[in-house]
Amino acid sequence: MERHSRFTFVDSAAVARGAFAVVLSVLALHAGPARADDAGDAAPVPGDAPVLVRIERVRPPSEKLTTLRFLKENRDFIRGRFDLLRQRPIAGHGETTAVDPRFLAYQSMLADVLGARDSVASAEERRSRLTLLASVTQLGDLESELDGMERLLAAQRERLSVLQADFTGRQQTALAVVITGDPGASPLSEISVTVEGGARITVTLGEAERAILKRGGAVQVFRGFVEPRAQTLEIGIGGAAWPAGDTGYVALEPPRDRLTMLRLDLSTLDAARGAPSIRASTWLYDARIPSSDG
Amino acid sequence: MRDLRTPWISVRGLFGHAWLLSLCLVAFAAPAGAAPHVAFAARAGVEAAAAAAHSWSPDAFLVYVENDEDVAAGGVAPRWGYLYYSPWLEKCRIYSVRDGRIAVAEDLTMKFDAPPLAGDWMDSGAALDAAEREVGREFREKHGGALGTMLLMRGAFNEGDPDETTWTLIYTAPHAPSLFVVVDASDGKVRRTWRG
Repeated sequence: MERHSRFTFVDSAAVARGAFAVVLSVLALHAGPARADDAGDAAPVPGDAPVLVRIERVRPPSEKLTTLRFLKENRDFIRGRFDLLRQRPIAGHGETTAVDPRFLAYQSMLADVLGARDSVASAEERRSRLTLLASVTQLGDLESELDGMERLLAAQRERLSVLQADFTGRQQTALAVVITGDPGASPLSEISVTVEGGARITVTLGEAERAILKRGGAVQVFRGFVEPRAQTLEIGIGGAAWPAGDTGYVALEPPRDRLTMLRLDLSTLDAARGAPSIRASTWLYDARIPSSDG
Repeated sequence: MRDLRTPWISVRGLFGHAWLLSLCLVAFAAPAGAAPHVAFAARAGVEAAAAAAHSWSPDAFLVYVENDEDVAAGGVAPRWGYLYYSPWLEKCRIYSVRDGRIAVAEDLTMKFDAPPLAGDWMDSGAALDAAEREVGREFREKHGGALGTMLLMRGAFNEGDPDETTWTLIYTAPHAPSLFVVVDASDGKVRRTWRG
């Protein structure tokens, strides 16, 4: 007699699919944020190539952590101590602070530049007086003067590289938000960006801005320093279809000392879906200065 | 004869394997989720906090440091809080650093124009060692206490020389008054201790 399983009424292929689905579900569950308090990790870190970011309808939850508990619990006492500190003269010797050696070096570099300019000027004067190279010796003198000028040029290049390192090396974390794409018939009249802890920046889309977008250009909405941390930007739109305005939220984590770009493509804007229908992408702007030697 | 519709693995066996695999995944995933954040000494978080503070206001300077989570041996904690003051904005902003990143950034809602910390302050590990050697260890062992707070500031707790940047360590115990230990952040000497 043939023995039947109690489960023979179930197609075995379907069971296999079901079992596979169970495994996939578990995998999916654990592929998400490992900890509830790591909600901030969800903010995408932009790279050199543009990556799409989602504009959410609801502000993403942020982690609630207490900080500087003792200071907050004893703020009156500590502030009182500081007030007292400022009012009480204390015995002590004034101390000078070290001057940044770079500032001293700049003076020296400036003196070198002026000295080099004098050298070049006097060499030029001598050269102009030479109407005829009378001897091989004078040719040798000219060659040595040219060598001297090359040395001056090399020194000048070195000074410029020092200045470049000092000033372009002090890049701070910044964010630029631009809009592109023709919104077409969407009744969009303004768009705003609010950075966490910052003011709301609004750009009115008039005829000029619409013409720029239609031609494939971009309009800058915001550019400024931001803190290098996970944060949420509020994107607002206004127009006839949204009498009270419409809002979406983008989570970003601008890396330290880099310029992060965020592009909002208005060509995908849908009146019914509002701000979340805008396609957003982010990338890092490469602000490195190319070498003068190519 | 072998039924082709029923493969070599039985249906019951298939369910059994799936659930077994699921349980294994749960078991493996759970410890990963509970992985602790890496503890670090106070100085290691200054760079991240300073970068954020200077984006907020270029003239901001560090005025106060406090552990935001429990301090372990070696003066390390998974999260430290740093307070910056901007004379230009006349405001203070807090940055709490964890795993080298800013975990919290918020304004301090009070006027707090504190003087800047000295630049050469000793790290939390050395300050904790000094306090432990002098009085901390004895207090912990005698009263079953623990270190609750470590804070670095200038002026508040060292009346003899309020201009000094000092670490203040606060030990607490369930049935004894707390122990305060003030350590000079430049030379590591214990300046003051008191109970309260």
